[in-house]
Amino acid sequence: MKLTLLSVLFLSPLLAEEPATEKPAAAPESMITGSVDVGYRWVSGPAGSLNTYRSIVNLGSGLKLLGAEFTIVDTKKRLFDRIETRAYSWGDDPYTTMHVNARKQRIYDFNADYRNIAYFNAMPSFANPLLSRGSLLNQRSFDTQRRFSSFDLDIFPSRTIVPYFSYGRSSGFGGGVTTFVTDGNEYPVPNRIRDSMEDFRGGVRFEFRRIHFSLEQGGTRFKDDQQLYSSGITNAGNRETPFLGQTLLLTNLLQSYGIRGTSIYSKAAITANPVSWMDVSGQLLYSQPRTDVNYQQSNTGNFVDLRNLLFYTSQQYLLSATAKLPRTSGNIGVEIRPFRRVRILESWLTDRLHTASSTALPAQSARLVTNYSQQEIDVLVDMTAKLTLRGGYRYVWGDASSIVLPVAGLNGFDSGKLQRHVGIAGFSFRPGSKLSVSGEFEGASSGRSYFRTSLHDYRRMHARGQYQVLSTLLLAADFSLLANQNPAAGAQYDYLARQNSLSLHWTPKAVKFTIDGDYTRSTMRSDIFYLVPQTLTPERSFYRDNAHLATALLNIPLPPYRGMTAKLSAGGSFVVSSGSRPANYFQPLMGLSVPVAKQVMWVSQWRYYGYSESFYAYEGFRTHMLTTGLKFSR
Amino acid sequence: MSVPLLLVAFFVARLALGQDAPAPIAPATYVGSEVCQTCHEDLFNAILQSPHQAVNSDKKHGWDGKTCESCHGPGSKHAESASAAEIKNPAKLAPAAADRTCLQCHLNQPTHSGRIQSSHAKNQVSCTACHQIHAKGPLGLVSRKPAAINEQCASCHASAWAQFQRPYKHRLPEGAMSCVDCHNPHGSFRPSMTQTFAANEPGCFRCHTDKRGPFTFEHAAVRFESCNRCHEPHGSSNPRMLVRQEVRFVCLECHTNLPSQSTSTAARAALGVVPPAFHDLRSPRYRNCTTCHQKIHGSHVDRNLLR
Repeated sequence: MKLTLLSVLFLSPLLAEEPATEKPAAAPESMITGSVDVGYRWVSGPAGSLNTYRSIVNLGSGLKLLGAEFTIVDTKKRLFDRIETRAYSWGDDPYTTMHVNARKQRIYDFNADYRNIAYFNAMPSFANPLLSRGSLLNQRSFDTQRRFSSFDLDIFPSRTIVPYFSYGRSSGFGGGVTTFVTDGNEYPVPNRIRDSMEDFRGGVRFEFRRIHFSLEQGGTRFKDDQQLYSSGITNAGNRETPFLGQTLLLTNLLQSYGIRGTSIYSKAAITANPVSWMDVSGQLLYSQPRTDVNYQQSNTGNFVDLRNLLFYTSQQYLLSATAKLPRTSGNIGVEIRPFRRVRILESWLTDRLHTASSTALPAQSARLVTNYSQQEIDVLVDMTAKLTLRGGYRYVWGDASSIVLPVAGLNGFDSGKLQRHVGIAGFSFRPGSKLSVSGEFEGASSGRSYFRTSLHDYRRMHARGQYQVLSTLLLAADFSLLANQNPAAGAQYDYLARQNSLSLHWTPKAVKFTIDGDYTRSTMRSDIFYLVPQTLTPERSFYRDNAHLATALLNIPLPPYRGMTAKLSAGGSFVVSSGSRPANYFQPLMGLSVPVAKQVMWVSQWRYYGYSESFYAYEGFRTHMLTTGLKFSR
Repeated sequence: MSVPLLLVAFFVARLALGQDAPAPIAPATYVGSEVCQTCHEDLFNAILQSPHQAVNSDKKHGWDGKTCESCHGPGSKHAESASAAEIKNPAKLAPAAADRTCLQCHLNQPTHSGRIQSSHAKNQVSCTACHQIHAKGPLGLVSRKPAAINEQCASCHASAWAQFQRPYKHRLPEGAMSCVDCHNPHGSFRPSMTQTFAANEPGCFRCHTDKRGPFTFEHAAVRFESCNRCHEPHGSSNPRMLVRQEVRFVCLECHTNLPSQSTSTAARAALGVVPPAFHDLRSPRYRNCTTCHQKIHGSHVDRNLLR
């Protein structure tokens, strides 16, 4: 059946009748316009690692609804003015999406969004302690689906009062492999994943000429019912040698989580223009998410309790826990225009939260606190109509701490402070409509930062320019740099990342083809000092990633045949990286679109995916993908 | 601290530009959109099919019947002379001035609650850089389809888009997501104009709901510096979009066994260096920390994030 379908799709251009050349008579606006793109995809192999292919690409063979876009217009404007619908990649594809927008002017605006995304990850080199034994079992793998849906409704009973409501749901389900960890050994076991979250919110916007404010109340409901289950299988785990003469093993396991969460939040937002030379905006929010956990575990086998040096054969574990996270955040910004050419932007924000949690076990509790604040002032001066200069200063400060009890021999308390002074400069230069250049620089000095690799003493630069060389040729360049150092003894962190991009868009009139292309050179190095855990000898960790990345697409209209113009496309992308994890990833493509009737287009595309890694050759794959189908338009 | 700074900036600006006289106001009057239509019929028809058709009956701002002049200003002189110099063309104004034109109506809307913090606004990226005002169609002012949105953002952010060509990335090139799923182009108070979710939490948790918590035992880095402490959200050559080639190298950058400096007065970068671990990294069992510390984003039941 598939072959027949393929034949029909391939032969359809040849069987097509010559399209009518007469100009159609003017018709009233159609109720429904849009297109449907249906096709069949054939995927070879893939040769090499199927798991890597599924982790990175994951497209399969079969009949697909590649895309559908519709606009429905009610010319009498009864229940709606227009409905816009678009859907892509239906038919067991890993990224299925649909969006619907319906609106009636000054009555309502409704948006619905749906996505179904497959998450598969089983890289053979990742989390694989048994690799040296020839096993390609990823012990942290999963094969799940996540579904997202959201519905947003804005109602316009008047021009100044806009109530709005929103509901969203996100759910994940599927299976995977994870480890059951005990003292002295860990055992890969199947894992069942099932979680969902519902998100509700509603509010009212008041929109006046000089002020707008919104009041919003919302909340979430969360549940997570993960399970690990293994029965009747003797699982020796990852330990290769007996422990004190005994083999540690797992024979039966049931581990289940029952996690329920709720959250409620209140938000107020304002934007105002109290006088002509000043704008104000701000937001205040308070929330308190909470989770309640019931956990149970039952396992049999041969295990060891390292603290008491005790072997045992079965274990039951029941635990309940609660965690709360009160959070207050607020921000306010002011734009002042004291003169025609000067703008002063001042903003301040704070984000303060802490978690407080406890378990049913005695003295098992934890607390985490973080308070973050930031203040920034920028002055922008339009030196001329074509040149704007910007200078500013940002001060970031905060504190954070984490306490875990009981101490049990480990350090249960950690705290840090954050203090950063940032100087800001920038410019924007537009000498004419053909050329624009802008740049931004930040230089920071930190007295204190949270982590060894946090932004500390850093310079960040970003510049980009666009030049319309000819009316048909646009060149653009993009340059970014981040250099960060933490000179603290024991860290001596040195990080440098640089990206240079050049892109062009060329549409020569004489030959009517178009070329879009860009090339990026990305380099990154990171050096940091650390102690090797087993020997506590000092070492330096070096990470390097140097990559050439390019994408290109050439569109060529073919010579007209019987009044129809076909289009040939060729291009693709490649990534060639070297350094700490060298990898090559090629995705060339070629496409052909042939109109076969007035409203029917035959669309075909060939694509190749080739992935290889120098250090993990067994993770490479390559595959050819051919998609062919018909696109019906109305 | 902000008030003195503000005052200094105010007076410096006044001193520097005090001589700057305001531009003379052309004594033009409003003539109505029908006059504009006589010469610019294509633009007039296009705008009547765009969301800006609402301006034509907008009594709230006083623009009823003056759709064209709501942006271009009074057009009587231009109508008489047909000279381009006699009419305001926002496309040729400095970005800030062009934005003021749009913000006459759009300022007091919720989309602009992060505008002052927006790096687009600070870097002179005007509204018209993304929105096509004369575009025909009900949703024509800006791209709505994921692929078109991504293409538009990539036209400036070429190096960011290049990262999505790497093997491990969010599914933007496939059209399953778009840049605005994670970034708010109108501005956000979060770094990199990232979207917020629910209670101003990082937008990452909208999809990665199981990582949201709160957890009984938090992994502090997630709360203190968010997901990009360990992940490259735009794309990476490393599995799971990690910032380093293997998990242990990610972990060891913080959990390095060095004594905590947090207790000293000269604390510079302290969090996470403890608890110490003495795992023998020569054994494959310890090379991937998340094999055991599997609840690395936070655990509901175990302080060592083992379950």
